[in-house]
Amino acid sequence: MARLIRTEKEVEGRYTEQWVVVEEDVLEQWPEGPLQTVGRPATRVDGLARARGEARYTQDLRLPGMLHAAVLRSPHARARVTRLDLEPALAMAGVRGVIGPSDLEPLTNEPNYEGEAVAAVAADTVAQARAAVEAIDVEWEVLEPLLDAEQALAQKSFVTNPRDYERGDVERGLAEADAVVEAEYRTQSVLHNALETHQSACEWEGDTLVVYTSTQFLWGVRDEVAKAFQLPKDKVRVICRFMGGGFGAKGSAGDYTMIAAELAKRTGRPVHCRLDRREENVNSGNRNPTIQKLRLGARSDGTLTAIDAEYECLLGWDGWLPPTAGPAQMLYACENVRTVERGVRLNTPPMDAFRAPGFVEGTFGLECALDELAAKLDLDPLEVRRRNHADHDPMDERPFSAKELMECYRRAEPHWERRHEVRARSEGPVQRGVGLATQLWYGGGGPPSYAWVRLGGDGTVTVVTAMQDIGTGTRTAMAQIAAEELGIPLERVTVELGDTAHGPYAVVSGGSSTTPSMGPAVRSAAADVGRQLIEIAAQRFETEERVLRLENGKIVSDLGGSWAIEDITGLLEDGQILGNGARGPNPTGMRVLTFGIQVAEVAVDMETGEVVVERIYAVHDVGRVINPLGAESQIEGGIIQAIGHTLSEKRLLDPQTGKVLTRTLDSYKLPTFADVPEIVAELVDKPDAHLTNLGSKGLGEPPIVPTAAAIVNAIRDATGADVREIPVDRETMLRALAEAREREKRGAPAAV
Amino acid sequence: MELRQPSSLADVDGLVEAETLVDIRAVVPKGVSGTTIGAGTLLAELEADPEIPSALREACRLAASPQLRSMGTIGGNLLQATRCWYWRLKYPCFLHGGSTCHARQGEHREHAIFGNEQCASAHPSDPAAALLAVGATVRTDRRELPIGELYRLPTEDDRNVTALEPGELILELEVPRPEASHYLKAMDRARWAFPLVGVAAARFGDGVRLALAGVAPIPWALDSADALEQATPLPGTAYKVELARPLIRRALDAIA
Repeated sequence: MARLIRTEKEVEGRYTEQWVVVEEDVLEQWPEGPLQTVGRPATRVDGLARARGEARYTQDLRLPGMLHAAVLRSPHARARVTRLDLEPALAMAGVRGVIGPSDLEPLTNEPNYEGEAVAAVAADTVAQARAAVEAIDVEWEVLEPLLDAEQALAQKSFVTNPRDYERGDVERGLAEADAVVEAEYRTQSVLHNALETHQSACEWEGDTLVVYTSTQFLWGVRDEVAKAFQLPKDKVRVICRFMGGGFGAKGSAGDYTMIAAELAKRTGRPVHCRLDRREENVNSGNRNPTIQKLRLGARSDGTLTAIDAEYECLLGWDGWLPPTAGPAQMLYACENVRTVERGVRLNTPPMDAFRAPGFVEGTFGLECALDELAAKLDLDPLEVRRRNHADHDPMDERPFSAKELMECYRRAEPHWERRHEVRARSEGPVQRGVGLATQLWYGGGGPPSYAWVRLGGDGTVTVVTAMQDIGTGTRTAMAQIAAEELGIPLERVTVELGDTAHGPYAVVSGGSSTTPSMGPAVRSAAADVGRQLIEIAAQRFETEERVLRLENGKIVSDLGGSWAIEDITGLLEDGQILGNGARGPNPTGMRVLTFGIQVAEVAVDMETGEVVVERIYAVHDVGRVINPLGAESQIEGGIIQAIGHTLSEKRLLDPQTGKVLTRTLDSYKLPTFADVPEIVAELVDKPDAHLTNLGSKGLGEPPIVPTAAAIVNAIRDATGADVREIPVDRETMLRALAEAREREKRGAPAAV
Repeated sequence: MELRQPSSLADVDGLVEAETLVDIRAVVPKGVSGTTIGAGTLLAELEADPEIPSALREACRLAASPQLRSMGTIGGNLLQATRCWYWRLKYPCFLHGGSTCHARQGEHREHAIFGNEQCASAHPSDPAAALLAVGATVRTDRRELPIGELYRLPTEDDRNVTALEPGELILELEVPRPEASHYLKAMDRARWAFPLVGVAAARFGDGVRLALAGVAPIPWALDSADALEQATPLPGTAYKVELARPLIRRALDAIA
């Protein structure tokens, strides 16, 4: 029965209260451990299509008569357009339409960051569109940009109001401490650099606007575009069947979608607006830099007495304040905690969500400071983490729906023990060390999310839902769940997704919410089909429903005998059995989180400052694992991305003009495969008994959360140097080593 | 021989339409013969050639990525333009004919510690430093010149960093065989990055020659290890001096 509930909805740490109609989740969870299909490694159902180039991405679209858009973007961080004449562009070869600030909402006469869109052109070819943009007659009054964080703070230039949190009394806690660490940590801005750049192709079919787009949220794009063009929501159809990565930056429609839609409207032709790599690295979102001032206090046994943290999050011109203080507030059972988060507004391109926004940055500072504190107290860092384990949510005493962090710590023990042997392998200028860091993050998902399942006369099953697979293996996981529920082989299941006109509403693929939101809906839709199949079989074979069950592609009777599913579906001929499924509610009064720990082994050349990550062990608790192979890929991907974040990636801005200097992939240094260490990935794989009919949480983000801190803690273990800034490039490492040598000379203690 | 001036380079996404280019592969010699290396020889061939000086072999191996080394020639590598982001982004900088070096005031972590008074860009070639250390000679379609004379610091009157005339083409390299040579490179990641500092060292009889990559607008010959102390680093490149010091020592140890 449908039930109307008031529920707390969380996406990447942003909680909202809302009404949701949910179906009662009547299915019992499956038993723990590998089942027939779920819990067993499955190669991607679309792997071959992707590898062969048969999978069509938005990038590959060639709609009949399609035009190409190019955008005039501000070359200045802050400027006013004093003259804008679009006529010369219109006169250029192949040009079919030109729009400016008076024609469309995101286009502006007063750009506040480099790359903000001012005008756009649609032409027969990309080259013609670009040439026409060059021909636009534009004059700028260049204004002084605000680029300096301290100046912005003094001016109280904020994107949103600062966020304060306090429990207990931090000053008292610090006074009670036997050791205090006070330090400043800094994290840089990094760029998503998904393989497929941000892009949309828009086409009007009568009064319906069809949007082909590279997105993490079909339905969000639908709502945004419908609002902008004042259309009924379902007059916008959004399609994304294959997607070349997003990492958080493709959660909304973006200027390119609005530009393509408006130009399509004016020209009567489909229009493709695609960012090139340089545009992508200027204005498609970024992980915002942070400056973190931390004070941690602990008693001699390692019990935390105080966490005091101030975070300046340099968001750029716009965006939202990521939950940077989340780890400080929630990770440990500390009585006295005070956090301040400020979202500083500058004339730089706006931030966007980037794989565990806030928690990646916040975990870096907190987990490094905790290791510095452990060093001061001469305690084992793993032991300090165990001692401060939070048995319930330290913010509001709520129980966790499940928490296997202690099990993660237990499994990490032998990998942490390797430190003695790793250190012993230090040789000459190359010193080796081991470090660890804990992870927590959201990832529980929630309603509303729906799926349909249909079983055809030939016994094949199709899952239909308008969700997106952003490259994480969602198609495969959903197929596994349907196959498991119906007791059929994986090969018999097809998943149709990626089109708002073909299937029901689905959750955003962000905040590690896809599997925990969609999986239970797919399972209940499959169960609905299963129930009907049993009902029909009971009538056909004149037996009772309660003695029948689905197993290995058969309908099996407890009384003996079995029938192939096709024996029943064959009766239908062209008839179909249709099932409906919806995501049930989240457990009330409980905190749903994911947990884990990573142990990093590094080698540092004490003379050249070269840091090589040699091995990372990762163990994460995300409830039941649907596809262990896909899960391992997620962990590897998260760690590799984190290695770039920790060692080599940094968006550089010119300090005078605020322009992005690292636009290309030779200057912006993503890790290569030669930088990838041995990665040992493990999952606790224990269903969360309180969470849905699956007990599964998301794994997209957890693996990137603790890696930077684990690597930097390993660097300290290897060298005795305190690195408090990422990326740890040669300059940063050599400086930290020089400081450590100075300190040694003076005979001062390791931490301030 | 005359090279056609490409007139209609269509620059879409930074790609150039191949049919608009002159196929210099037809006129530039390829392959290694004794101590002569054709300018059209691929880096991928040189990195696997046991006969050439090991500094050059290593410099080729540590350059770019396997894909790029399978396409890129040694001649092309020597004439790469700087990766200076200001120059690439077409700031009106000294190298582009302007009056200031934006990198000096701005972001310059990848920039020069020598010869950087007017332009702080860094030369990106690894093999050039190796060839400088072994004292290679360049033969063009017009003349022969020591590789040290191929490069020149940009001046008020001439902003080029090479002595080549318009249309002049490098055809061959004459590469002496040192008794021992070595190349070491520090970069931002394990592979596929231009040198923050590259150090080439070569020994002939009693004499040792050193050359550095990534530290000046041109490949930089160093008279001795001590000459490093005459560097004029910018605030953001001071670390390169610290980085070069152990690399020079290690390279010298390797050829001792």
